[in-house]
Amino acid sequence: MSLIVIIEDNDQSSRLAARLLQRDGHEVLVADDGEMGLTTVLANPPDLILMDLGLPDLDGQTVVAMMRQQMALQHVPIIAFTAWPETTAREMVRAYGCDGVISKPIDTRRFAEQVGSFIRAATQE
Amino acid sequence: MTGQSSTFRSPDSSPAPSLVRASEYSFSELARIYNETRVDYIVPMPMNARRMEEYVRHYDVHLESSFVALNDHDEEMGIGMLGLRGRRSWITRLGIMPDQRGHHVGQFLVSKLIEAARAQAADQMQLEVIEGNDPGTRLFLKVGFEEVRRLLVIRRPPGEITGTLTFETEPLGADAVRECLASRAPGASWLDENASLLNMGRLGGLQVTLPSSKASWIVFYETPFQLSHLVLGSEDDLIALALLQAVHQAKPMLDTKLENLPLASPLWSIFQKVGYVESFRRIEMRLTL
Repeated sequence: MSLIVIIEDNDQSSRLAARLLQRDGHEVLVADDGEMGLTTVLANPPDLILMDLGLPDLDGQTVVAMMRQQMALQHVPIIAFTAWPETTAREMVRAYGCDGVISKPIDTRRFAEQVGSFIRAATQE
Repeated sequence: MTGQSSTFRSPDSSPAPSLVRASEYSFSELARIYNETRVDYIVPMPMNARRMEEYVRHYDVHLESSFVALNDHDEEMGIGMLGLRGRRSWITRLGIMPDQRGHHVGQFLVSKLIEAARAQAADQMQLEVIEGNDPGTRLFLKVGFEEVRRLLVIRRPPGEITGTLTFETEPLGADAVRECLASRAPGASWLDENASLLNMGRLGGLQVTLPSSKASWIVFYETPFQLSHLVLGSEDDLIALALLQAVHQAKPMLDTKLENLPLASPLWSIFQKVGYVESFRRIEMRLTL
């Protein structure tokens, strides 16, 4: 079981993602804005962070940049969770130090496996 | 929120929406409505109440001339806001609830914003629509807007900058920043006009001088986490590169976001050299009222 933090302001989207990950055996914490997200991951360094890039208080990219400046979070995989066009998102998240992208709307049949593969890849590094 | 300001008829058989002035809502309500209209947008850019309030103040949004559309059950259908600066106006924060699209609510809101702008003696209107928002672009073309130019939204993550240029840097005080902005070339988008920057406050600036004695300035808006609204005093390659190196050497830990750099700007290649990447593009459009 892994601890996953979802930082996402859309309730519907975060509830669905949390339910799928919990069903797969993970513990999930949800934060609905950037400030709460930072507080949550600093208090509970997770095994993976799912990061919405569009947040109501701070830009998602700014939050990722701030996380990467924290020693405790430097090796935690951060996966951008976004509806941005995939090509734009990939370049952007690479520049900001994210480890991958999961596009929204999520594919409910593949989502847990996608997240699991990012956790396994990080563990093997 | 109280009272409705006006009603008008839909061109299709849908019940006619009514309009409520945005000034009758709290910033928290406006942020919620706006966020709900953009939940499935290409780049959602949600806001909280504080960001909405800042947006209204920074960009001269006139809430008396901005509207929320309601259906006959008093449910919100959409929102549209109007910025006003002298005889110029700006449509912004336009959005329709996903389940209310296809009923010409966007066209209603735009026509109402045009009326409101005329009532405030505006004779020009402008807006930006995100490239790829085809329904929005079609709507604006249909009501007479014309494309003026493409704009880039670019970002640079925090990080040290390795530059080989040698230069001297001197911080600029508030008066010097204002003088620099007053001397700047025209052509900024609404977000980056001097009026926006001066509304924001918290502006910083640097004067940079090269060994050749060539000199120029850079002005920026700084929050605890982010730099934005960079304005460069020169488009000369070498000086522009020195200006960007200077600001990122001075603020290496801040994320940077620059909105609405013209795609055709010679500065884009200089920004790329110091690590900026494209986030998305906007289309700037104008209409003579």
